[in-house]
Amino acid sequence: MQTIIPHSGSADDSAGAKIASDAIVPHMKILVIEDDLEAAAYMTKAFREAGIVADHASDGESGLFMGTENSYDVMVIDRMLPRRDGLSVISELRKRGVNAPVLILSALGQVDDRVTGLRAGGDDYLPKPYAFSELLARVEVLGRRKGTPEQDMAYRVGDLELDRLSHEVKRAGKEILLQPREFRLLEYLMKNAGQVVTRTMLLENVWDYHFDPQTNVIDVHVSRLRSKIEKDFDKPLLKTIRGAGYMIKDEG
Amino acid sequence: MFARIVNRARLMFRSTAVRLSALYILLFALCAAFLVFYVTALSEKTLVQQTRQTIQEEIQDIQRAYDRGGINLLLRIMERRARQPGANLYVIAGPSGDILAGNVASVQPGVLDKEGWTDMPFGYTPYSENQGARRHLAIANVLRFDNGLRIMIGRDLGDPSRFRYIVRQALMVALAIMGLGALVIWFGIGRNALKRIDRMSAASQKIMAGDLSQRLPVGRSGDEFDRLSESLNAMLGRIEKLNEGLRQVSDNIAHDLKTPLTRLRNKAADALSEDREDVRRHALEGIIGESDQLIRTFNALLMISRVEAGSMAAEMSDVDLSAASADCAELYEPVADEVGLALVTEIEPGLSVNGNRELIGQAIFNLLDNAIKYAAEGGGVPEIRVKLSSAAGLIRLSVCDNGPGVPADKREEVTKRFFRLDASRSKPGTGLGLSLVEAVMGLHGGRLELSATDEASAEAPGLTVTMVFPAVKG
Repeated sequence: MQTIIPHSGSADDSAGAKIASDAIVPHMKILVIEDDLEAAAYMTKAFREAGIVADHASDGESGLFMGTENSYDVMVIDRMLPRRDGLSVISELRKRGVNAPVLILSALGQVDDRVTGLRAGGDDYLPKPYAFSELLARVEVLGRRKGTPEQDMAYRVGDLELDRLSHEVKRAGKEILLQPREFRLLEYLMKNAGQVVTRTMLLENVWDYHFDPQTNVIDVHVSRLRSKIEKDFDKPLLKTIRGAGYMIKDEG
Repeated sequence: MFARIVNRARLMFRSTAVRLSALYILLFALCAAFLVFYVTALSEKTLVQQTRQTIQEEIQDIQRAYDRGGINLLLRIMERRARQPGANLYVIAGPSGDILAGNVASVQPGVLDKEGWTDMPFGYTPYSENQGARRHLAIANVLRFDNGLRIMIGRDLGDPSRFRYIVRQALMVALAIMGLGALVIWFGIGRNALKRIDRMSAASQKIMAGDLSQRLPVGRSGDEFDRLSESLNAMLGRIEKLNEGLRQVSDNIAHDLKTPLTRLRNKAADALSEDREDVRRHALEGIIGESDQLIRTFNALLMISRVEAGSMAAEMSDVDLSAASADCAELYEPVADEVGLALVTEIEPGLSVNGNRELIGQAIFNLLDNAIKYAAEGGGVPEIRVKLSSAAGLIRLSVCDNGPGVPADKREEVTKRFFRLDASRSKPGTGLGLSLVEAVMGLHGGRLELSATDEASAEAPGLTVTMVFPAVKG
């Protein structure tokens, strides 16, 4: 189940957010440029509950000013803004050398809308309406991206190891055989270890389809993967985050 | 008064028939005037030429007579000729230019001085008429003998004003006939054709006022107007049908959204009146789930209408259908496996179409979703088949199940928005899955075919849904 912005946040939602706030993201600072004040107020509050400092700008010009003057880890920019269009804000920011990752929110929700958004310099795209847990997971992954070099050739979570070159997966030194798609699934989860990864993010990054998987297709794949990496071991690594998605993490 | 007439004329001029007739009159008048003047000029020229020729012949006769019989014979011949009715003009003049004999009283001064043809028509006075009578115009040839004697032979050109009168008369008659013709044209077009146009615009006024059942009048002649009316009527029929469909869709939408909204409202009311925290939380979770479902429905509806409007046509590229169908099958294989279904693929490699990969993917997802949802029910073979093949310029992507299938008479309806078979109403779903697939096929210039997987089986005929794409050329 997912919770949807705007309108009231729910108990379920903050629960999801609290779990995420336990993740190792100390004091991320983000900028939200959104003209819908109610949605913006809900968003900043929910981000704060998740341990993220969120500044808010309500139009394109002031958003551009704040984005240029301050240094943010991530920017969440609505596509349609008064005084300056969201896409133009992004390209202007890029022109001024601001490289913070940008997530585009759009009510247009067309397939080619995502492409134009990413072409304008955005890093991720989320059509409205969306679940806050989805937004939070994506913002955290974007904020983290800065620090993690893409070139890591191997990932390690607890006693689970993944070698991106040889495509070998081992747990406690014992080799685990995975299908190519299962390997990519685990690779994406481990790349974002300690962070919530939603079903939509998995569909996007592992299967390259950009829509909401309405049935439990992703869950079935994850549970298959889970049984392969956890069956003969005591400690669970791959957790289901209720109302949000999945997270791989070694709880020590 | 004058202003009123002007106003009236302006109003009349707004009519196409009047404007056309006026234009025709003007054109015809110009043509007629040109013709009349051209013909007169031509006939005048011919007349002069003929006259000159007869004069020339007479001059030669006179010359010969003079050579043969001297001045006496010359005088005799001229005397005789001058007396004949309608005779030419004859003048015999002395060296000083005084007229000695002939049938002319006087000529314009200077005419007799120059030998040969007179340059221009000149005035003269006939002998018979009184002094002061009107002068006539003539042309003449003057012959000069060695002894200074001059002879002029000429011909009257007739009364030029009379000639002009005839020309003017002809013009008037022509213009009168043309005016009459224009009136006839105006009556022909204005009274008949324009009336029909007026009837057509009256009918369109009613249609614009909202009565889509109105039709334009069609005559029996099958002329341009009738053909125009017929095609406009066909267009109206199509619009009426589309409008009807639209109304039905919005009725369906209203109806199908009312149910979950009512459920949502009831759940909220329940949650509000609930004191126990855990029950309340459960009710709230139910509300969120219900809202999610509603949002999905709205998203799917929006998606369908956008695809139908073709607004995604911009993002078309080569899509590897073989890879896409294999990917989707791979994605759904574990899901099918969970409910005890085998997912079998028969995919011809290397087939691609020009299309939108996301939309085609979503369409295949929807078909697989449906197949998995319903296949497990029937008593048929527990398997789902994904087939991709090409033949005769078409690429066919089929998803086949062995479930209860869809009765033949319902197959057209299942692609309609919100349509669900009675048996499937209890299952989760928006009732929009196949509508989207059909819209996607429309965008790709293809079509959707529904058939039974196994016609012979009574209890589990199954359903085969086939996406038929036109193959990429070349």
